[in-house]
Amino acid sequence: MRTGAAAGHEGYYHEAVCYRSDAELLAVAVPFLLGGVAAGEPTVVSFGARNEALVRAALPADAPVTFLTGGDMYARPAVAIKAYRQLLAEHVADGARQIRIIGEVPRVALGPTWDWWARYESAINQVYDEFPLWSMCAYDTRITPAPVLSDIMRTHPQVATADGRHVPSDTYTDPTAYLTETRTLPPDPLQWTEPVIELTDPTPAQARHAVYGADRGGLSIDDVEDLVVAVSETVTNALRYGRPPVRLRLWAGEDRITVTVTDGGTGPKDPFAGLVPASNGSSGGLGLWITYQSCGHVALHRGPDSFTVRLTAGNPHFTV
Amino acid sequence: MSATTVISGSGNAASYGHLCWSYDDPVDFDRRAREFLAEGIAAGERVWFVSTEQPRNATEKMRKVTSLATALDRGTARAVPLASTYGGDTVDPAAQVAVYEAATERALATGHSGLRVVADATSLVRTPARRAAFARYEHLIDRYMRVRPLSAMCGYDRRELGDEAVAELACMHPENNADQALFRLHACDPDEGAAALAGELDKFNLELFSRALDRADLRPVDGELVLSAADLRFIDHHCLTRLRDHAHRLGATAVLRTSRSTAARLVELLALSGIRVEAAR
Repeated sequence: MRTGAAAGHEGYYHEAVCYRSDAELLAVAVPFLLGGVAAGEPTVVSFGARNEALVRAALPADAPVTFLTGGDMYARPAVAIKAYRQLLAEHVADGARQIRIIGEVPRVALGPTWDWWARYESAINQVYDEFPLWSMCAYDTRITPAPVLSDIMRTHPQVATADGRHVPSDTYTDPTAYLTETRTLPPDPLQWTEPVIELTDPTPAQARHAVYGADRGGLSIDDVEDLVVAVSETVTNALRYGRPPVRLRLWAGEDRITVTVTDGGTGPKDPFAGLVPASNGSSGGLGLWITYQSCGHVALHRGPDSFTVRLTAGNPHFTV
Repeated sequence: MSATTVISGSGNAASYGHLCWSYDDPVDFDRRAREFLAEGIAAGERVWFVSTEQPRNATEKMRKVTSLATALDRGTARAVPLASTYGGDTVDPAAQVAVYEAATERALATGHSGLRVVADATSLVRTPARRAAFARYEHLIDRYMRVRPLSAMCGYDRRELGDEAVAELACMHPENNADQALFRLHACDPDEGAAALAGELDKFNLELFSRALDRADLRPVDGELVLSAADLRFIDHHCLTRLRDHAHRLGATAVLRTSRSTAARLVELLALSGIRVEAAR
């Protein structure tokens, strides 16, 4: 038996919390968490340090609420999905009838990497739907840009308000439709300069060697190695499933390496590609998922006659 | 050796003298063959130049190098007809290894430090079946060379065989000059594992990798198929999975010993069972 606003709901009950003050956040979060505790449901908080402290202080000291370190959980969307699915499966295996989670993406995710978090927020409506999950995604409207707020309303079926209501979002869009839309890709300022490497129809090996050649020692060895994996997978997909010509461009900045791989095709058919391992055996899906796990940021862009994957290793949170 | 030629595998633990040399220019091959044999003479080895050419012609080519001419006169160097060394068109891998084992031991018994051979094997690998048998032989003789003083330069005419066929053979050597063979599967010290794996492995040489594993016919020990991969620069998830599946068919867990962190991360990420990545020693 599920409790609270999600009572009677099957699958994932996905709400946004758009708050303007600490008081508004607590007005939603505290009853949500205490309701879960009272019902004996697994109750989880995945906030950054500031809001975690805020919520901890507002709860009874002995409240059996699990606090996850939000920074780790929300490092990358595909990582979050994998970790949450494992967590949810474990709770269900332990007999949970409902799991309650309130979380927030780190503030930095509201910037240039928001596009893949928007994809995450949309995709999880389906990806978590096999679990009796009631989650709230908290966004501080004082720091959230208007286009991001628009995406939040389109990716969350419900909105929880500070006065205790749970209202449907008027602009909620089915994930398959949302994830298929052509999204604007904000250019990395590095892309305004000439690429240091430009290859046409490279083999994956040539692409890998290009990344090693561009490494100036500014990134960790693991970051470079992970980018090599991602570039190799992306070029492999472009050669196998895209259309020629395949063009690789690479820019090397002080704190990051940015690589674009463009082909003349339309990109993966699976709207969820990258966020979850190849569903229904779609071509290239596992490679893109590995890429999502390996890079600081991955952006997908469909142009009129081309499909581009942009990969960033190092710090993807550039300022324009 | 040509200053511009890149030898994959050169300069590392794989440099024990088993070199694949594919060529487009026979003159260049002959020149490289003479260099290889002259290095053997300088090291006190008996040397053979094995080819389909008339012995007189092969001998003339060798005489262009003074040390080889002297060695020919002394009987330390020989031009050997291919047909007398490799019986039949399709090589019998085990029997052929026995031929070279015996020849190596004879060289040692007569005071040489070992046997060094240049063999142009193009005529022995013209069909897929012959190539399969010869690739198997290449791995078996490679195992012998890893531990005994036999060294060889195997010549393959790329104009006749094509890049794909050459790649099938080149990848079974610890060293090669064929840039299309991105990986190498070769012998290692017996206490280091079943074989060594070097170079780069991805979706585009996955099938070649599969064939190489089949032809090497590696044997697990204590339920583990250990590959020493200190010189492996890259392996993708396709090839990791294929290696796992190959070991599974042998009833074993695949163990990859590599210094590259990405292989371990991929195995963990994909939750691949039946394969373990260990840090290279």
